[in-house]
Amino acid sequence: MILYDYVLSASCYKVRLMAALLGKALTLHAVNFHPGREHKSAEMLALNPQGTLPVLTDGDTVLTDSADILRHLTVDQPEWHTEEDERWLAFASDLNNSLGLARLHDVIGYEAVIDTARAAGVMALRKLEAHLTEQRFDGLIFLTGKAPTIADIACFPNTALAPDGGVSLDPYPSIRLWMRAIRSLPGFIEMPGIHRLHELAHPA
Amino acid sequence: MNAAIDNHWYPVAMISGIDAPRETLLLGKKITLGCEEGTCWVKDASGNALPTVERFGHLWTSPGQPNRDLFTIPEADSPGRRLVDVGSVKVKCSPLRAVENFLDIAHFPFVHTDILGAEPHTEVDRYDVKIREEVDEVWATKVKFFQPQAAKSAEGGITTEYMYRVPAPTCSVLYKTCPPRPGEWDVITLFVQPLTDEWCEVWPWMALYDDDSTMSEMVSFQQLIFMQDRSILENQLPRKLPLDPGMEVPTQADMTSVAYRRWLKKIGYTYGAQLVAA
Amino acid sequence: MDWVAVALTEDVPAGVVIPSRIEDTDLAIWCAPSGRYHAWSDRCPHRGMRLSHGFVRGETLACIYHGWQYRENGSCDYIPAHPKLTPPSTICVPTYACTEADGVVWVSLHQTDSAMPDMGGRQPVRSMPINLSASDLAAHFGAEDFTTIAVVSDHDVLFAVQPCTDSACVIHALASPDADRSSVSRWLEDLRATLEGVPA
Repeated sequence: MILYDYVLSASCYKVRLMAALLGKALTLHAVNFHPGREHKSAEMLALNPQGTLPVLTDGDTVLTDSADILRHLTVDQPEWHTEEDERWLAFASDLNNSLGLARLHDVIGYEAVIDTARAAGVMALRKLEAHLTEQRFDGLIFLTGKAPTIADIACFPNTALAPDGGVSLDPYPSIRLWMRAIRSLPGFIEMPGIHRLHELAHPA
Repeated sequence: MNAAIDNHWYPVAMISGIDAPRETLLLGKKITLGCEEGTCWVKDASGNALPTVERFGHLWTSPGQPNRDLFTIPEADSPGRRLVDVGSVKVKCSPLRAVENFLDIAHFPFVHTDILGAEPHTEVDRYDVKIREEVDEVWATKVKFFQPQAAKSAEGGITTEYMYRVPAPTCSVLYKTCPPRPGEWDVITLFVQPLTDEWCEVWPWMALYDDDSTMSEMVSFQQLIFMQDRSILENQLPRKLPLDPGMEVPTQADMTSVAYRRWLKKIGYTYGAQLVAA
Repeated sequence: MDWVAVALTEDVPAGVVIPSRIEDTDLAIWCAPSGRYHAWSDRCPHRGMRLSHGFVRGETLACIYHGWQYRENGSCDYIPAHPKLTPPSTICVPTYACTEADGVVWVSLHQTDSAMPDMGGRQPVRSMPINLSASDLAAHFGAEDFTTIAVVSDHDVLFAVQPCTDSACVIHALASPDADRSSVSRWLEDLRATLEGVPA
């Protein structure tokens, strides 16, 4: 499987993280999204006419939607799926269109109505916090139950990277503990802006 | 108008990225810039042309009257190097905080874990630092650190040697051991455009010996590193760099930063600096 | 203003550090593996990095930037760049009075002999930020002081309020032990929407 990847993309990170948690190997093909705009190059447009990242190729299969890629990676792993996933995959798109957009604006100067993007991001975080709080009342730490599913992996990156776009995560205790649970999963990998849990390492 | 601040050269754009005239900020003031028929220009808010230099893949300007030429990096001109336009990242911090972080190696194991550093290899040995009066630059030499993956071209851990140079208040040049070419130095720079005193646009640029990596891989590697720093830089209090001792406690590992702060104070460069201990 | 609620204890389990603030004071609140709670200035004395981004290792809080470790009394214990060095005792983080009672973490920014507010046997529900100053929130409920606000409601709700800025505070909500916490949580969401004047 080849992932056409941009190192700072939250959506590409969903795919890298999912594969790492599953222990599946990905061949990474670096795409110079910024400043090179290589995702709009002839080579990339031939692969994905929409000119977006990530793109995953697996033999003859070409997938260009991060939710589809998460489903594809876990197709033989029912424990990564619940009936509740679909609405959270849709919610992950909301996060991308609000927090994700604010982040691209603040980091690499994307055009955006920044106040609107941030306000929508705060509303989304409040919804997420309310849901995760109720989950904790039932002794559940993840979005749809006791174990993580593709829903958690889809929602985690743009949530955890919210501060990159000027949206604070300080006021959300349930989101913080949920992110900590994801960062504690065996095989977890970080990306810039998301630190690993250094408490797990020990000095000599 | 403050000559100690205005009479420097500042990076304001990557030349290959100028497709249409655009506005940006320099030292809190609006400027416009563009490129026509191979020549770049910069104007201030009143439409007056500002001086320009095109060097290291970037467009440089000054709101004042620079009393010396923009610094050079002779090593970067040697043949066989690949010149890497990394692009820019905006950061909500003082431009001086961004430079100081670039001069620091002690954070590698915690911020660039398993790439530029890793526990338990955290010790920073003594190195040499001086302000070279004849060129008015800060230099740190004989800096050594153990690195799990020092560059895109590095395989496995090695002890890397560094030299750091501050040739202008918001610019730093790093020379580091070049894995495929013993005896040569890779050149990695951090050019910082002060948008305001608490907000900057950072333009890393590199001149590397690396015949294996794709250009996209080299760009990705440097963006990865700098974005790891960004999450630190946006969370330092205060956002401005304290120049007076007392507010922050340095150790021997921070000799470069101590010299940098002292030099800024000596040349009167106070933009983005906090002078009175809060 | 003596004791101010800054978090619910179940939101700061042992080994966790969180950011918080009381008006202009930024705080790092952390719980040592021993179960003791601490409230510190949210700033590493070395390079000003927020300690709330750090990590708890052993009975110390470490800064994420350079890994400097601080003991429970706030003094620096270990500097990874100089592993053989005993850090001078002058390197220490300002600390504040911090204790846990009734499932709430309380902080006082100054020395105080006063007792913790009485929660009347209620159980913690959740902490919720709201874009309203603590004094405006108190005024809305006719309370004289925002430290605790008893709310006439189905669930015998009590608010311990944490003032943050001129336009924001955090409500730490407690309720009767037999209250359904999800119902209280939803009621809180509705209350916030009403008080902020935005649709839920």
